[in-house]
Amino acid sequence: MNQTAQKTESAPLVDETYYAAVTEAIRAEAARLLKEGAVAAVIGYVPGRRPGTALPAVVTTPERAAELIFSPACRNNLSLYLTKAKQDAVPKGKLAIVVKGCDLRALAGLLGESQIKRENLHIIGIACAGVFAANADQGLPLNETTIAKKCRECTVRLPAEVDFTAGALPKLPRLTPVEAEELARLEALTPAERWAFWKEQFSRCIRCLACRQVCPFCFCAQCLCDRNRPQAVENSVRPAGNLSWHIVRAMHLAGRCAGCAECERVCPMDIPLNLLNRKMAEELKERFDYEASLSPREKGPLTSYQEDDDESFIK
Amino acid sequence: MTVGARRCLALGDPPGRPYRRDNNLMPRTITAQNLQALIDALVGAGIRVVGPKRVDTLCLYAPLANGEELELNEQPRRSAKEAFFPPCEEILSFERQGANTSVRDPDLSRLPATVLIGLRPCDAAAPEILDAVFSWDYQDDFFLERRRKTTIVGIACTRADDACFCTAVGLAPDCRDGSDLFLIPLEGGGYAAEALTDKGAALLERHAELFTQAESAPRLPLAEPRAAELDLTKIKAWLDGHFESPFWREIAAHCIGCGACAFLCPACHCFDIVDEGSEAKGCRRKSWDACGFGKFTLHASAHNPRDAQANRYRNRIMHKFKYYHDKFGRTLCTGCGRCIRACPVGIDLAAVLEDINNNG
Ligand code: SF4
Ligand code: SF4
Ligand code: SF4
Ligand code: SF4
Ligand code: SF4
Repeated sequence: MNQTAQKTESAPLVDETYYAAVTEAIRAEAARLLKEGAVAAVIGYVPGRRPGTALPAVVTTPERAAELIFSPACRNNLSLYLTKAKQDAVPKGKLAIVVKGCDLRALAGLLGESQIKRENLHIIGIACAGVFAANADQGLPLNETTIAKKCRECTVRLPAEVDFTAGALPKLPRLTPVEAEELARLEALTPAERWAFWKEQFSRCIRCLACRQVCPFCFCAQCLCDRNRPQAVENSVRPAGNLSWHIVRAMHLAGRCAGCAECERVCPMDIPLNLLNRKMAEELKERFDYEASLSPREKGPLTSYQEDDDESFIK
Repeated sequence: MTVGARRCLALGDPPGRPYRRDNNLMPRTITAQNLQALIDALVGAGIRVVGPKRVDTLCLYAPLANGEELELNEQPRRSAKEAFFPPCEEILSFERQGANTSVRDPDLSRLPATVLIGLRPCDAAAPEILDAVFSWDYQDDFFLERRRKTTIVGIACTRADDACFCTAVGLAPDCRDGSDLFLIPLEGGGYAAEALTDKGAALLERHAELFTQAESAPRLPLAEPRAAELDLTKIKAWLDGHFESPFWREIAAHCIGCGACAFLCPACHCFDIVDEGSEAKGCRRKSWDACGFGKFTLHASAHNPRDAQANRYRNRIMHKFKYYHDKFGRTLCTGCGRCIRACPVGIDLAAVLEDINNNG
């Protein structure tokens, strides 16, 4: 939060000209698409009122294309707006969308789950240097202290299978992983210690459901966790309900989660949800040799059936 | 009455409603050390003290075990409303025994006497604004009993960020609204202390030995929120005539429908009532609700009067800047900036109001 963030003297990771170039490329491509009538809208980012901030925008005229930007504040995974849960936010017809590599992994997942058709999309991929962490002081440049944890370990900086690539990837210094270390630390704990850690974290959860609402894969028309007759998961902010909610969330996203870490970023209670996502991803990798990637696959590891599946657990 | 014409009581204002300007009570000074000692003494006397406390990466209002835990440098992520209106509380319990079902009300007399300390004006002012709705057609004893038993120690604000806009909604960094006792940070770490109500005076008198008579150092400069000025009367007039407007979709079609803004807000007070447990034994719980949620006001018939996300966001603005004023003559926002900082998709209430103010 800005009120506490210390101004730190850490060198910018990339030159300002990089953002200007990406911004220019997005604007030109968006204006062209809208002028030609090739798309009904471009889903991108515009600057916010507060200096250094940005927010999602659905741009429908070539004139407004000039407002589009790319900056370290462009954190939202916009593929969210392609799902049926958010269909109100965008016009019908072919859409252009600005995506970073991690967003593109989610987009590939949605294509795989038949939520969108590739031919209805014009994908503008960003050669991505990274974005701000959740509580970073956005008045600072992107640097060692302000960069998001996911970006420190990113493997998808260059988008693939897109229709247009905005910008060129600048040379970036190697950053040490933070999240992988935290995960390793947790894995080294005893189950009782780990339980204590999560119990403490979940005790802060206020069930604002920002984590669910921001997730591109939480598009169910009827979330199990909203049901009340009968109630499957306690809705009230209490230890039992909070724990159930977090188990359901993690399990329903296992094998689908793209690792965009949006859920963790938006959590107003700073609950490190991406550690759970990553743990799930590790399990999926180990047991099913599955990893979220930039290419859509028709069947996820937990949604396909094979005759030789191990069924010995059914007693 | 014009909206927002009611300014808060800031320094030098004539005394208003419950405010005491009893000369032999003020001004007093308390050192930073003695403020901690005050908390220790209260805790020692079995009084629940709730104040901003560091929890991991953030700061939250929580019961303090001692004075050292008080964290005054950071605005707590959640507001102080939970001291009166917790995220979830049991409002009755039931149990079936044979053919009979017994129903039990919680014993509100057991709610503890509480000193709520370290509230900036944007938090301190909110409970008083909420009194109106919680004691309107129905006396909500869950809220009101806690109000009766709580003494609020507010503190003048010395640091704002670019989301703060208290000054635009009629408050100020030294606004005393809602405080029983008010602290003003002094250079060197102490505080000037002003008792504003009987509760505040009683607290000060009971621990008089921790306060000294005169102010020992100059006051620290107050925070200066950089928010644009708003004409709340003009904004309300625009809202009166624009229930239907393309504006709502323009600013909020991309709202994702979460509860972050409402749950962090000191003034949002919607709740949902659910029975949990089984038919044989369970309880009825009152939990925070949010107009952002898709199921907010969803009728059993499947009809929802606020059917689209932009219309739910419209409700947020209307409720704060029109309906609450129509009903109670108050603005349902203290400009704390929490909804702005927390919105996952960058919806900025101050920008929305500025937009209506300038173009409406
Ligand atoms: S994780 Fe990679 S693609 Fe995603 S924002 Fe960070 S650097 Fe860019
Ligand atoms: S965003 Fe955070 S506080 Fe809100 S429901 Fe999710 S985990 Fe809980
Ligand atoms: S669970 Fe979190 S990290 Fe995974 S796709 Fe959803 S928002 Fe992204
Ligand atoms: S509406 Fe936003 S700024 Fe106003 S009191 Fe609520 S959280 Fe604070
Ligand atoms: S305005 Fe922002 S915080 Fe509020 S419901 Fe919409 S997305 Fe959530």
